[in-house]
Amino acid sequence: MSKRFRIPLDQAGTLQYRFSHPLSSARYRDLLAVNDVSFSVRPGEFIGIAGPNGCGKSTLLKMLSRIYAPDRGRISVRGRVSPFLELGVGFKPELTARENIFLGGSILGLTRKQLASRVHAVLEFAELVDFADHKLKNYSSGMTVRLAFAVAMLADADILLLDEVLAVGDARFQQKCFDVFGHYKRTNRTIVLVTHDLGTLELYCDRVLLMQGGRVVADGKPSDVISRYRRIVGAMSDGADTDPGRLSTALTGRRWGSRDVEITSVRLLDRQGQPHQSFMTGAPLTVAVDYVSNNLDGEFACAIAFKRADGAYLAGPNSKVVPESVPPVKVGFQGTIFFRIPSVTLLRASYTLSVGLYDDHLNHAFDVVQDVLEFQVNDDRGRQGMVDLGGTYGHTFTARPLEQRSVNKAKDQSTLA
Amino acid sequence: MTTALNEGDSRQTAVPTGIAASPLLAPWAESPSTVRSYLSLIRELAVTSFKLKYAGSVLGYIWSLIKPLMLFGMMYLIFAAFLLKGRTSSAENFPVELLVAIVLWTFFADATTTALASIAGNGDMIRKAYFPRWILVVASTMSAAMTLIVNAVLIFVLGLLFHWYQVGWQSLLLIPLLLELYVLSLGIGMLLAALYVYYRDLGHIWEILLQLLFYLSAIIFPFSLLSPQLQGLAAMNPVAQIIEDARRAVVSSAIPWSTDLLGRRLVVPLVLVIGALGVGIWSFQVLSKRFGERL
Repeated sequence: MSKRFRIPLDQAGTLQYRFSHPLSSARYRDLLAVNDVSFSVRPGEFIGIAGPNGCGKSTLLKMLSRIYAPDRGRISVRGRVSPFLELGVGFKPELTARENIFLGGSILGLTRKQLASRVHAVLEFAELVDFADHKLKNYSSGMTVRLAFAVAMLADADILLLDEVLAVGDARFQQKCFDVFGHYKRTNRTIVLVTHDLGTLELYCDRVLLMQGGRVVADGKPSDVISRYRRIVGAMSDGADTDPGRLSTALTGRRWGSRDVEITSVRLLDRQGQPHQSFMTGAPLTVAVDYVSNNLDGEFACAIAFKRADGAYLAGPNSKVVPESVPPVKVGFQGTIFFRIPSVTLLRASYTLSVGLYDDHLNHAFDVVQDVLEFQVNDDRGRQGMVDLGGTYGHTFTARPLEQRSVNKAKDQSTLA
Repeated sequence: MTTALNEGDSRQTAVPTGIAASPLLAPWAESPSTVRSYLSLIRELAVTSFKLKYAGSVLGYIWSLIKPLMLFGMMYLIFAAFLLKGRTSSAENFPVELLVAIVLWTFFADATTTALASIAGNGDMIRKAYFPRWILVVASTMSAAMTLIVNAVLIFVLGLLFHWYQVGWQSLLLIPLLLELYVLSLGIGMLLAALYVYYRDLGHIWEILLQLLFYLSAIIFPFSLLSPQLQGLAAMNPVAQIIEDARRAVVSSAIPWSTDLLGRRLVVPLVLVIGALGVGIWSFQVLSKRFGERL
């Protein structure tokens, strides 16, 4: 299917123009936002659509949802499509949460009676039972998002279409969203997700379409498509807002120290040395700390702390206790310290990283940034707990003779009787 | 299911636990028919906009009554008390005729102007969710109709107390007349709403046209003031025909029915009303395909 947009070059849409230019026909620039795209999705598939800004991915999603009509080609859909592309569509800030549930739910095609039977379930899911009759304008953005997500889940649709929906909300809420998506997958429903977040695509999608210039340029396993995406973004060199590594340079956490040596950036790198925010259990992970010496000639130490999102302190390897130490610096030097983990033993959860540069005796803080980075670890094998201990199961057995077993069975029955 | 620990997962699908146990995610026992889900959406949107229209104002709904009453007061002073003094045969009834006309006119103006903005003003919903777009137009006119009904009931009860009206069987004709007015407003509203997405000048144009129509619709002067030929011509305007017939139905038997004025030409206002709805639906159908892109 294809979609052509006619972008007006003049203000031809106003009558003023039509009167002052009675003879000229309106001039347009044609933009082929989606060009000859064809694909099919199986029930139960979680498919991601990625691509640089303006590649046509949102247009494609809007055509799937019938908001835009294709100019050429056709879309056939089996099953009910959730009508929302984004969360909180139609919400009115002047109304209470309860009233907004009825409003949002009726856009989904539900009747008042149906909605009345689920209002409590929505409020409970959104953890807003105590705020049911507060006006939405008094809600925090997090509360609004939770409510909006819960309302969207009322749709009970066969196909969920979502546009950048997960860019909002805290890590715990996002986890809840993905738990719901997991439920959708298990019940053989389809999710189409448009997102910039490569971590999300890699962790949750079964398949990723990569779009560029209105065409699908790659379609396949997330890991393959994402590496291709990185090359495209790198080549375009304007992917600042889509490059997860850039987030680390903000250094937004709590920060203190004399800044004799200063941290300029912290990145998490994957096997290929690419910045990343999500890792698989068992994959290599490298913490890269860029620094510059403002005022120090000599030795210093680097400390890194890994915490779970709930604050549990998991590990704090500093350069004094691991074999390779940090070499001395001179004023004006800048460099990068690498902390390499050959295989991540953490299991699926959100984690934060804190980094500090100290003097050689770890007494004086040069620059400490708390919770500088947040990252996700996912585990495709569903291991339980916090860490993979790396152990293996052994097994020995002796077979019991068959007669003895049936005798035992008879005995059990007699005692029961 | 390669490892023993994954048994936990397979149990989850058998007996819902965790997130799957939430009643929120339980499938609906039955899905409502299309008509019923459209009706419930129309109702929800209409009630919401009715509620929000006066939210945050002290007098709230009262405003929607004060506005037509103010208009009535002004028009009454200017026309009935000064300009037309002593020139009409049914002078004592004229204030009531004016009031009835203004309540109906307020609905027509209100319904068409809110319908005009109903698509363009909900760009966010149109760009981000799919539902039949005409629902927004119907909901906005229904919200105006709710105001009309409350106003009409208040004024009707007030009038009964003061014996303003001549109520009889003929008053039942108000029901088809109100229906006619609603169909006309909806048809025009559909056309305006669709065109307004493409031509924003329409907002100003419709304001001017409404003023013109106000004076053409025999609201501020009784039909009897016009010459018989002019009366026949003016009654072809559906708004004038509806208002005049409504006056005949509840205010005074001295007023002629539009059938008396128009004879067989009564089809003209009726065809105009049906035509407005037809043109409205057709143009909306054609133009709504690109709403998503234009907003």
